Amino acid sequence: MSSEDFRSLLPLLILAAASILLLVVIAVRRDHRLVYYLTVAALAAALAASLIPVEYSPRTASPLLVIDGFSLFYSALLNAAGLIVVVLSYTYLRPLREQMEEYYVLILLAVLGSVILAASRHFASFFLGLELLSVSLYTLVGYMVRSRDRSMEAGLKYLILAAAAAAFLLFGMALVFYEAGQLGFSGIGKYLAEAEALSLLIITGFGLIIIGIGFKLALAPFHMWAADVYEGAPAPVSALVATVSKGGVVAVLLRFYSEVDGYQFPVLALLFSIFAAASMLGGNLLALLQDNVKRILGYSSIAHLGYLIVAFLSGGAMAAGAATFYLVAYFITILVAFGVVAHLSSGEQEAEKLEDYRSLFWRRPGTAVVFTAALLSLAGIPLTAGFIGKFYIAAAGAQEGLWVLLFILAASSVIGLYYYLRIIMAMFASAKDPAQRIAPLFSGVGLLLVILTVALVWLGVFPQAMLDMINEWVAG
Amino acid sequence: MTPDYMEQGMLLAIVLFCLGFVGLMIRRNVIFMLLSIEIMLNAAGLAFIVSGARWANADGQVMFIFILAMTAAEVSVGLALALKIFQKYKTLDSDAINRMKG
Repeated sequence: MSSEDFRSLLPLLILAAASILLLVVIAVRRDHRLVYYLTVAALAAALAASLIPVEYSPRTASPLLVIDGFSLFYSALLNAAGLIVVVLSYTYLRPLREQMEEYYVLILLAVLGSVILAASRHFASFFLGLELLSVSLYTLVGYMVRSRDRSMEAGLKYLILAAAAAAFLLFGMALVFYEAGQLGFSGIGKYLAEAEALSLLIITGFGLIIIGIGFKLALAPFHMWAADVYEGAPAPVSALVATVSKGGVVAVLLRFYSEVDGYQFPVLALLFSIFAAASMLGGNLLALLQDNVKRILGYSSIAHLGYLIVAFLSGGAMAAGAATFYLVAYFITILVAFGVVAHLSSGEQEAEKLEDYRSLFWRRPGTAVVFTAALLSLAGIPLTAGFIGKFYIAAAGAQEGLWVLLFILAASSVIGLYYYLRIIMAMFASAKDPAQRIAPLFSGVGLLLVILTVALVWLGVFPQAMLDMINEWVAG
Repeated sequence: MTPDYMEQGMLLAIVLFCLGFVGLMIRRNVIFMLLSIEIMLNAAGLAFIVSGARWANADGQVMFIFILAMTAAEVSVGLALALKIFQKYKTLDSDAINRMKG
């Protein structure tokens, strides 16, 4: 490998080296604040390193990894999301009786796994990235062993289902390898282009791989873990599951599908259409029945990934751009939403019941306004990033004539509006006891949430800069 | 290996995978669920080795080693959680542990 290769792999190297360094630091001295600062520095460095080496790209750094505009953009996005989750975690964890230093190592490893996924062009790196991500997440979801029973339960549920999904994915890869004799995405693409008729085995293999990916993205009918994990996990970890884990898998799905030209198989398109429709309807309908805010966000994430699959399915020139823009908008929005949940949680008591949010506006007006902006963006109301994201999905879908899916998207968005508005109504309900008002404390997390909210509205009003960047890096 | 053995090897892998999946679906004890997942993952490993032999390609064996390492990591986390859960609930029945619903 040349020095340029190392230079282009810098984001990955920084994250890997930082997690080892942190382990050594923890072995010498347990210091929550020190570990936190080191983690923030590592993620910021990896973020900067993702933005710099554009001049070297596209570069095939090894048979397993390719560093191009696409993977660098996703790497920057994932590192930024990881950074925000770490900042949210610090104040959230402080009052708890856990040993919290290893938590940061696991977050670094989860981000690393996700960045590997975004850069992978081979089944081996696909699998390794996914497992690095998953095993860190099992531990993070079940991290609150001392303070919350539900955290353990969620961790175990996630472990069993995600490990089963990994087995499906691996068996699918093995079937594809048996027929094609190739593990690299481009090699498989070449095999598929030359093959005259495809055997049952290879189609089954693709089906199993899609099932495995569907599990990781929590697409219906493989969504049953999502609500429980979102509820049981600590709020910052729920944000990590919603952003970093989904982002990496979406990236590898986009790359895999375009390299093997999966759009040529109507069977797989039908499979994805069914997943998308079931996720949009199922996610939004099930969310109606909930009165736990974290569960509502969990079900809404199922619906949102359904919308994203519509963009992905459109397969035209706009597909990757629309899906990526939607992902950026969703990342910002869901980070604000879970940030508010984490911000309002105190010690072992998480603010997750709808009751906890009743007349929040009269107690903490700033927090309530920020949360309202996030919920409106999730609902796709104009002037927010969520609206522009949905608009581009609709444009991409309309270009390819996916009318049935677009109709379901529109209809289920209307259903979704109901439960988002329910939370907003609760927040603005008049307070029975106005004396309860708490003077808002200026805090780092509060500032972060305000910045993210400004970004949310800015993307909704002036999306052009982000769209140009995505077109240049991702689609170009 | 001759092609006949290849098909038999794949058949064995498929049967093992299905057995593991059925086990995962019907067993309620957490340890047995982890065991079933192990069987599914090893079935995938066997399929990789047979495919590698078919193409005279070492990649299949490399993937098997990756699977082995990953399974060990996964099971160690799983057993640690199972231990904690047993201490808390005095049972490993997954239906009894299931408190979150809806």
